[in-house]
Amino acid sequence: MSRQWRALDALARDPAFVTRAEAEFPMLARAMAAQTDRRGMMRLMAAGLALAGLTGCDAGEQGGILMPPVHPAPGTVGAGSDLFATAHLAQGYAEGVRLRHAAGRPIKVEGNPLHPASLGGTDAIAQAEILGFYDPDRDIGLRRGRVAQAWQDLLTAMAARRTRAAEDRGAGLRLLTGRVTSPTLARQIADLRTTYPEMRWHQWEPVTRDSVRAGALLAYGQPVQVRPHLAEADVIVAFDSDLLSSAPGHLRFAREFAARRNPTRTDRMSRVYAVEPAPTQVGLAADHRLIAGARDLARLVPMLAASVLRDEAPADAPPWLGAMAADLKAARGRAFVHAGPDLPPESLALVHAMNEALGGRGTCWTLGAPAEADSAALGESMRALLDDMQAGRVHTLLVLDANPAFTAPGFADALRRVEFSMTMAVGPTETAGATHWLVPQRHAFEDWSDARAFDGTATILQPQARPLFDAISPHTLLSLLAGPAPAGSQDAVRATWAPQWGDAAAARWHDALATGLVAGTASPPIDVRLRDDAARAAPAVPDQPLTLSLRPDPYVWDGRWANNAWLQELPRPTTKLVWDNPLLISPARARDLGVRNGDRVEVRRGDAHRVLPVWVVPGQAPEMVIATLGYGRQDVGAVGSGVGWNVYPLAGDGPVSLRKADGQDELASTEHHDPIFSDAGEYVRHAGLDAFEADPKVLAREPALEHLYRMHPPGPAAWGMSVDLNACIGCNACVVACMAENNIPVVGKQQVMHQREMHWLRIDRYYEGDPEDPEILLQPMLCQHCEQAPCEIVCPVEATMHDSEGLNVMVYNRCIGTRFCSNNCPYKVRRFNYYGYTKEEHRPALARNPDVTVRARGVMEKCTFCLQRIAAARIVADIENRPVGAEEVVTACQAACPTQVFSFGNMAQGGTVVERKQSPLSYAMLAEQNTHPRLTYEGVIRNRNKDVGA
Amino acid sequence: MAAIFPPEANLAAKLVLLSLAGAIAAGIGWWWLFPRTDYARHVDWTVQQPVPFSHQHHVGGLGIDCRFCHVTVEVSGNAGLPPTYTCMTCHSQIWTNAALLAPVRQSLADNVPIRWHRVTDLPDYVYFNHAIHVAKGVGCESCHGAVADMPLMRKVRSMTMSFCLDCHRDPAPHLRPAEAIFDTKWQRTPDTPSPATLMAQYHVGGRNLTECSICHR
Repeated sequence: MSRQWRALDALARDPAFVTRAEAEFPMLARAMAAQTDRRGMMRLMAAGLALAGLTGCDAGEQGGILMPPVHPAPGTVGAGSDLFATAHLAQGYAEGVRLRHAAGRPIKVEGNPLHPASLGGTDAIAQAEILGFYDPDRDIGLRRGRVAQAWQDLLTAMAARRTRAAEDRGAGLRLLTGRVTSPTLARQIADLRTTYPEMRWHQWEPVTRDSVRAGALLAYGQPVQVRPHLAEADVIVAFDSDLLSSAPGHLRFAREFAARRNPTRTDRMSRVYAVEPAPTQVGLAADHRLIAGARDLARLVPMLAASVLRDEAPADAPPWLGAMAADLKAARGRAFVHAGPDLPPESLALVHAMNEALGGRGTCWTLGAPAEADSAALGESMRALLDDMQAGRVHTLLVLDANPAFTAPGFADALRRVEFSMTMAVGPTETAGATHWLVPQRHAFEDWSDARAFDGTATILQPQARPLFDAISPHTLLSLLAGPAPAGSQDAVRATWAPQWGDAAAARWHDALATGLVAGTASPPIDVRLRDDAARAAPAVPDQPLTLSLRPDPYVWDGRWANNAWLQELPRPTTKLVWDNPLLISPARARDLGVRNGDRVEVRRGDAHRVLPVWVVPGQAPEMVIATLGYGRQDVGAVGSGVGWNVYPLAGDGPVSLRKADGQDELASTEHHDPIFSDAGEYVRHAGLDAFEADPKVLAREPALEHLYRMHPPGPAAWGMSVDLNACIGCNACVVACMAENNIPVVGKQQVMHQREMHWLRIDRYYEGDPEDPEILLQPMLCQHCEQAPCEIVCPVEATMHDSEGLNVMVYNRCIGTRFCSNNCPYKVRRFNYYGYTKEEHRPALARNPDVTVRARGVMEKCTFCLQRIAAARIVADIENRPVGAEEVVTACQAACPTQVFSFGNMAQGGTVVERKQSPLSYAMLAEQNTHPRLTYEGVIRNRNKDVGA
Repeated sequence: MAAIFPPEANLAAKLVLLSLAGAIAAGIGWWWLFPRTDYARHVDWTVQQPVPFSHQHHVGGLGIDCRFCHVTVEVSGNAGLPPTYTCMTCHSQIWTNAALLAPVRQSLADNVPIRWHRVTDLPDYVYFNHAIHVAKGVGCESCHGAVADMPLMRKVRSMTMSFCLDCHRDPAPHLRPAEAIFDTKWQRTPDTPSPATLMAQYHVGGRNLTECSICHR
């Protein structure tokens, strides 16, 4: 039995699982037995014939049309690639990005190093937004009651609404938006309120973060935001924290967090405690991960507060709490406590009080004004709207960038009492189907707008392309509510900023577009005093034995990204599930219920109940049952409609019951795919900081092996990569970046269950130890570019070869699909096109990266170290007659990573990658196989507190 | 009982079998050889264009440099096709009413691009880069032929992988001095630096140009 394991079934040595895992092409039998309909068969035959035809004569067919522009675009190189700044909006907050254009169209999202919420990194959702931009389902058209309308009809309808709203000074006019940080939208809404003084503006996000706001109100009397500076924190305690996954500013926090996690590069490694009901991204990277359910948390936070604030030692505290409190107090001034949005406001107020007592203000964290245009409690805002709608006080409702018919139970019902309702949406939504009018909204990448980051920094969003589909800007729609003349979105945005800039407007506008941010708009730290009673806040301890927690899916979020196939097929950080949202339960509860992965249970709260399959999550609190929001959408487009189960109806406070139901569902998780076998059973090497300090080479166990084959002579460059496992938080941004850069197709749930996902880069997650409370370890796994590559020697047609720069290259046109290479690859990083996945993709050809070959059916593929980027740099260097610089090439995964896990470069020229490879933590994966990978890992060091048990 | 087949049947059967084998061999031969013919590669096929643009007149006659229209050839993988605007820099002054140029004027007036037909195409899995070839002393003529003599554009080389590899295996004889790169009528003269000198001058030879990763991504 391997020491580190990936799936519970493997740990239990389930014979069926073992057979499945050990077979190289496990699902072949099942695929053969699967029913194929006649049309499917014909399609396959046609594809086969087309392929045969291709190999027969691909000869110089004349073809293709070349269309040069009529006027050259200013400041662009014909076929060159250009970067243009804009922003990605995550729950309303801006994350600065730059879009890379090829041949005049945007093809890839990169981070914006100048932007405070990006620092050059991106997250998975931002990376995937380029796919959303090209989503053909966005073409919804202006509709009234599902009937297409002309734009003139909209002008007429809005004129009627203006008259109606003017009659009652706007009392029956309601605007419902998502969270708004856009100064222009805020200005337009303020203008509307002067026109219609009694109009009301409601905001709604299903993931409200209301608790965070209420906690700040309790502690400071105003809705301030805490801005951590984690690079300064020596001790971090995180209670069920979203600090590294979805909190506004999380990319920046992750970068600063990671800066203190590798002892070979930081003088003083931080110590991180994560106390949480289920693995979060902080927990995955923490030194101590302590499991606590919602009930435990409601007791633990006050206990820690008592210990930190009043030096008490609560009697029934768990043994580690005292050690944690002592650690915090010892690091006075350099300690930081954070609690996530699922904790009650009282707990959050206590956390504020602790932070003040620990004296980290100004160094480890500061307070800032909220970035939202109007900081409101979203839950209350929605409840007020629903009450007014039910009472018939709303005659006109405009819904912008929100999907309440899906996310707010009771909305669809209340909507029937509204005389005129209109939804503006980027694609189909349930709300758009329920309101009278549907106005297609321009995608953020094809419209002018603005937005603020978590710290108030404003970005002007500039269009990256002309609108792909007939749609208008929300700024235009709002202008139609104010008056008869529709305003262009650029004019609206300029009208917001020009008065503030005065004479310098032209230059500042240019700078804002060029840099991706408006200089000097970050809000300064504010000085507010902690209220005295914050320290006395007492969270209520729930008395129910079972806590049902509804949490947003990390990628589909509240359902808004459900039509994005890259996000649907992105393995979730710990469960590795794709295309589904089963109920997550702990191993102990699974035993009690007598269920295994995929078995159905019925979960009931009040009148609402759902029958859902379960997924067992090692390291989850037994008390907790976690249901994932965002799935079960019915009206979202071809990709996401009908995927998973809608659990919004389970929202509420009542007691929850759970019982086993009949039947099973097939769930697709990649956790047991691509198994790697090592005799030692150790894949992610790790040790404690004390062991490292005693012997820096504590992780070194390289066997001294003779070379069987001659090594390749050195070439003009030597490409190598080093992956720092200390920094990885499992966010998967690299995986999506790789898909976008390398034209990697999605395959769908069925094919994933056949282990045919195409990701060139995956993040393997290993467990070690007790399944109830395991050590969780992450390892990005991609082609290791072995210098003695086992794949190369078995290819009968030399389709996979070594080049002089150390790259293991794949020649798609030579590949005849024997799959010998994949069989012989010990790392299992090769991917085979069992079908023409690319052809069947829900994605137009122009969305693809033109610098990367689109692979056909029957061809093997794998990570190329972004060969297209290497080739581009190689050509520039050769033209300038110089070697390619050490860090001139940045791979897609490296560019996307918020925590700088990857370093890549030309080792012949030195640079960071050479330094990292000399680190004592550096090791080659499966070194005993003598493959001499060009990719090495830096093992994990955990800074454990010896006073905290295990 | 008489035999069903007369003795001649043996001969007939052999002939049938032989011709069947011959047909299969010929078929395979055709399948193998046909794509390699100039006919299949459309070599010397003149392509119909919306405007009968003459390189002979513009390059050979007027002496306009290649880079006046193909502006990105030195900085980008793609040589670039001139925008309508470039054509009209001259043709708003001369031949302003020529019927042949009506599509060009129309394009500018309607802001609709001209749809040129490709003459030289490579498969999508090959990444040819103009900038590096021009920088390293490969002339336009080496691939595109004597463009200055072509009234209408046609393809003159097969553009097969072996065509590329002939040069990548032994670039020296194909290099020319920097001033001759855009000269489609250039011929090697006794004064021309030797191939070995040019190789050194252009710093060619630092890498193995026949590696797969040079052209395929």
